[in-house]
Amino acid sequence: MAIQTILVINKSGGLVYQRDFVATAPRLSSNEYLILAGTLQGIVAIASQITPKSLQIAGKGSAKGGVEPAGGAAAPLVPYVGTLGATTASGTPMGSFLGPDYFNDAFASCNGRGLKHVTTDQNSLFLYQTLTGIKFVAVSTQPTTNAMAVAVAENLLRKAYCLYADYVMKNPFYEPEMPIKCELFDQKLGVLVGQL
Amino acid sequence: MALYSFWIFDRHCNCIFDREWTLKTNPSSGTTNSKLNEDTAKLLYGMVFSLRSISQKLGSKGSFNEIRTIATGKYRAHILCTASGLWFILLSDLGQEDLSQVLRYLYSEIYVKTVVYNWLSPVDFADSPNERRGQGFRKIRNRQFLLAVEKFLGPMVN
Repeated sequence: MAIQTILVINKSGGLVYQRDFVATAPRLSSNEYLILAGTLQGIVAIASQITPKSLQIAGKGSAKGGVEPAGGAAAPLVPYVGTLGATTASGTPMGSFLGPDYFNDAFASCNGRGLKHVTTDQNSLFLYQTLTGIKFVAVSTQPTTNAMAVAVAENLLRKAYCLYADYVMKNPFYEPEMPIKCELFDQKLGVLVGQL
Repeated sequence: MALYSFWIFDRHCNCIFDREWTLKTNPSSGTTNSKLNEDTAKLLYGMVFSLRSISQKLGSKGSFNEIRTIATGKYRAHILCTASGLWFILLSDLGQEDLSQVLRYLYSEIYVKTVVYNWLSPVDFADSPNERRGQGFRKIRNRQFLLAVEKFLGPMVN
């Protein structure tokens, strides 16, 4: 499984970053990518609206019994997968985060009810949503519904988010919500995906 | 294993059949062809429609790239699009990784045999052939079909 494209969508649904990693990736015009980003933004919200009734009923029951803590932290943790992209090939650490890797634990997904994963005949699309509403989207070249593959993709995108925090948000010349043109981010993201 | 609901849409964007189970423990619970599900059906149709158009663009040129599954943090939707423009959609829990065989059986063994081969069933469930807005109200009420769906999907509900 190879990562074909990575997209970053800002909190208002605009496309701020798009990069192809595979030469055979279909060429879409920038306009088509903008439409794609906006559509995904809408679908994330719609997908949570059609949560089946039996789940809604079950959720209410457990909340009454006091099982579910306040804030609805019932979302299962995403398991931590390996030391994916901890350092560059030369051994220098990739980011400013502590430890040998960016994070070492399983983490709670901020996207409990929204869209996470789509498979088609040829691709699968993974979506990682951050607490601030930025969405990281990866398109891979193989359809898979394996829980492990989804966990790996979620870890990868979370690391891409760490890179975003390090090399985009800390860049004094970057304007928030605007397209990302940071050379270091490009470079580090390339390394991260290359190690997969 | 848990199934939450089963939907069929025709090529006029109408929901022609819906079955939702509301209690995991009871396969006979829930609603069939419910008026209350109309809005949910429209949302579901819209979601699949937009993701389908995205997947067509992302696929390599000159080949079909049909959508198979959509997963959120809570449930997974399995989709089968037939050549006649019908969509069969099953909503299940996240443990079900691929229900395409189940959908294929529902289409080829149940839908085709009880609805398509049925002389009294309308060929097209829409009122006029150029209907495009999903305002149709006709549903599959064929008793054989309902029974067969219950018999096939019932054991998988809980």
